[in-house]
Amino acid sequence: MRGLYVHVPFCVKKCSYCDFYSVPAQNGLVDLYIQALMVECHSYLGLSFDTLYVGGGTPSLLGADNLIRLIDGLHHAFDLSDLVEATVEVNPESATVRLLEAAKASGINRISVGVQSLSQQELEKVGRVHTAVQAIEVVGRAKKLGFRTVSADLMIGLPGQKWEMLRASLEALISLGIDHLSLYCLSLEHGTPLALDPPADLPSDDMQADLFDRASQFLDRHAFVHYEISNFALGGHECLHNLNYWRGGEYLGLGPAAASHLGGRRFRNRSDLHAYFDTPAHFVEDVEELKIKDKAAEEAMLRLRLLSEGLNPNDLVKRFGQENVNGLVGRLNEMARVGDLLFDGLSYRLAPSKVLTSNWIFTRVLFD
Amino acid sequence: MENIRNFCIIAHIDHGKSTLADRILELTGVMPTISNEQVLDSMDLERERGITIKAKSVRIPYKSRNGKDYILNLIDTPGHVDFNYEVSRSLKACEGAILLVDASQGVEAQTIANAYLAIEAGLEIIPVINKIDLTSAMIEECRLQLEELLDIPGEDVLLISGRKGTGVIDLLEAVVARMPPPGSSNEEPLRCLIFDSYYDAYRGVIPHIRVFSGSLGPGAKIMVKSTGKIFEVEEVGYFSPQLTPGNILKAGDVGYFGASIKDVGTIHVGDTIISPDHPQTPTIEGFRQSQPMVFCGIYPIDSSDYGKLTMALEKFRLNDSSIAYEKESSAALGHGYRLGFLGMLHMEITLERLKREYGQELIATMPSVVYKVVLTNGEAQMIDNPSKFPEPQYIDHIEEPIIMARIIVPEDYVGPCMELSESRRGKFINMEHSSRRRTLLTYHFPLAEIIAGYYDKLKSVSRGYAGMDYDFVGYRADDLVKVDILIKDNKVDALSFIANRSSAVTRGRALVQKLRKLVPRHQFEIPIQAAIGKKIVAREDIAPIRKDVIAKCYGGDITRKRKLLEKQKEGKKRMKMVGSVEVPQEAFLLLLRMEQ
Repeated sequence: MRGLYVHVPFCVKKCSYCDFYSVPAQNGLVDLYIQALMVECHSYLGLSFDTLYVGGGTPSLLGADNLIRLIDGLHHAFDLSDLVEATVEVNPESATVRLLEAAKASGINRISVGVQSLSQQELEKVGRVHTAVQAIEVVGRAKKLGFRTVSADLMIGLPGQKWEMLRASLEALISLGIDHLSLYCLSLEHGTPLALDPPADLPSDDMQADLFDRASQFLDRHAFVHYEISNFALGGHECLHNLNYWRGGEYLGLGPAAASHLGGRRFRNRSDLHAYFDTPAHFVEDVEELKIKDKAAEEAMLRLRLLSEGLNPNDLVKRFGQENVNGLVGRLNEMARVGDLLFDGLSYRLAPSKVLTSNWIFTRVLFD
Repeated sequence: MENIRNFCIIAHIDHGKSTLADRILELTGVMPTISNEQVLDSMDLERERGITIKAKSVRIPYKSRNGKDYILNLIDTPGHVDFNYEVSRSLKACEGAILLVDASQGVEAQTIANAYLAIEAGLEIIPVINKIDLTSAMIEECRLQLEELLDIPGEDVLLISGRKGTGVIDLLEAVVARMPPPGSSNEEPLRCLIFDSYYDAYRGVIPHIRVFSGSLGPGAKIMVKSTGKIFEVEEVGYFSPQLTPGNILKAGDVGYFGASIKDVGTIHVGDTIISPDHPQTPTIEGFRQSQPMVFCGIYPIDSSDYGKLTMALEKFRLNDSSIAYEKESSAALGHGYRLGFLGMLHMEITLERLKREYGQELIATMPSVVYKVVLTNGEAQMIDNPSKFPEPQYIDHIEEPIIMARIIVPEDYVGPCMELSESRRGKFINMEHSSRRRTLLTYHFPLAEIIAGYYDKLKSVSRGYAGMDYDFVGYRADDLVKVDILIKDNKVDALSFIANRSSAVTRGRALVQKLRKLVPRHQFEIPIQAAIGKKIVAREDIAPIRKDVIAKCYGGDITRKRKLLEKQKEGKKRMKMVGSVEVPQEAFLLLLRMEQ
């Protein structure tokens, strides 16, 4: 499996919690961006990919014509003939009928809608530019157009959030027919407006944990499988592109701030759109090539995120060799002994009660 | 020798000692223009706090109105009760003392304590009322207090303003006229007292000495009486006030010498210096040895700094011989030292100086006194560290040090001061109305109460007017218990404390509550408990953490996530492990600060 990720670094307006790279989509920037992207593609000409994910930022801000241009360009540069999944992230305010139709026509079969909440109050408090009604309309529209999978993002821990509101959002999305849900806990990222001036009604970590647990149980009752720490899906609708991340697979990231994993190296593009225009083909920074033992530990950490699939140590042995996995397996066994991991004789899994406190476990998986 | 006068200024804290010293230096031309106030208070800490910690001396050439030239050696002394040993040492080097009283404050506890020390040392005392330029000056009242409390004839008292210089020359004339010259002889064998010393990176130990007999110059061989170590003198000189080399120090002189003494352990303040040719020369007696009363553990924040701390302490002790220290280790804090201090201010100042002068970041444990623990087999142990206490079943009874406190307080505040004293286990001894508005209260206190903040409380209930001085009187048994603090079943040795049974539970509970706020939540529940023996007397639980997810692996940026986890892991290295619980260093630091 190899995935292709394209980062579209435009947003109408930055949400108050967000520290990902994006800039306002001013006149002309989108054109320059697509031109630069095409130049960057040339550095990797001829690679084949199994999944495509156009994320952001706000890819729907590109508009129908530019989206078609972008996807056509990718087809030109790469071998996408075996593509099994192609996702575009959209935001409710810009996911017009035309845009969704254009996506469908370009072979996109998965739409991910940045809903975040269906409470108008919560949306306004974190500076989202769309309304709850718009979000409902877009999810309905995507369903109607017949995308194979329609996914929604929801946030836990928005200011003033109560379980009743969260449940109402979940209920509405399920009744609209979504097949996949990403549930993220709001975190105060350094330097964001929300972190600089956190509102008094921001749910505490304990309240977030409560909300998450209840949402998880609710989704379970509606046949959604908690297959990854932040992701829930109906059977067969798991996101293949993301599964590839957690299984230690290869992927190429294009565009500013996009991350890649190719040939055993992890690297990332710089987070600077204007510099990207100048040298799109030489934009990599932060190249990381781990020692083999560390690489094995990293993959173990990633695979433990897969709550139902888990980590089969034989997969690691095959890939990295027994001698590079021994110490790691020792650590995993110790964690299984104290109940932080579950072991069924074949695979290790994160215990359901440890999902929200997994960092502590991951730290011990990664480091001696 | 007839023209030498060795004297010091003694006073209660803040009564203007250092300002007077500045003025004397200025008026005698030693320091032509004094740009910075209080020349002799050379430590930053002294300037900041407005107090003198270390004794210092300066040589002042003075032409008297009688036409003769004199050498005045002024030895500055600290005022605070904790530094009495410095005072007694300085007094030993003098023939006279200026007793300074602030005209607006009157006679205070330390005025009396220091005056007694000077009288005991047989010094000629010149009583002086200072700050007479203040509108709040009560000159006649002060004169009366000196008469009533210290039997000093009112007509002997001089009036000055150290700030404005009024009466300062008259005072120097009185020093020349009333104080005797040193009764020493150049012919007798060498005999000097080391009254201070410090370490110079190039010249080694520089002892400050008063020559009682004989003389000393470069090339001379000297012997440290107590250790028998012999050195060759390389340099002698005077303080003016910086070190100024000279040819010879004669009987009666005050000065310094350098002899390339690199090992700080070979020579101590209080030692007698003699000539190796006359090894039988007697030691200079009467030097009041300091007795550490308050102890605490100190630990480097970063345990790899232990070696640096050791060196810092060795050098520090040279400068302040009253510090007692020995190695100690704590399960919670690692390797460190147990230090003995003369009192709380001494402790505070020492820790601050260690930090500043030696660049040491330190954790100090809660201060403790020395307990006498009498075991069931009749054996008595002196224990200065609560964590070293025997198990309760082996203890017959515990005795604690008792001090006699003399408290001087304006009449209006006698009530609150007595109430406070009763609540701190004080035993009333005596009350004396020594002038119309001053009352001298005498109490016996457990020293433990004094170090637990009695003095600060006394100041606050008297609106700052009460002053206090104390002396050790002996040991007394009381119902004392050791309280242990447990973090998830593990004893934190550094937090154990001894308390009277009646207050042990309250203090234990308060400590547990504070600790609960300082220990971070973990993946498991952490009980924090206070225990007397096996009995739990207070408990608080820290609920397990429920969410720690950092940084979503958005867009496959695994490296960022990995680095964040690595950083988190690095952060844990700065934690102290108490069993399976990680406690940040800062938690101990904050807790111990709060306790103090």
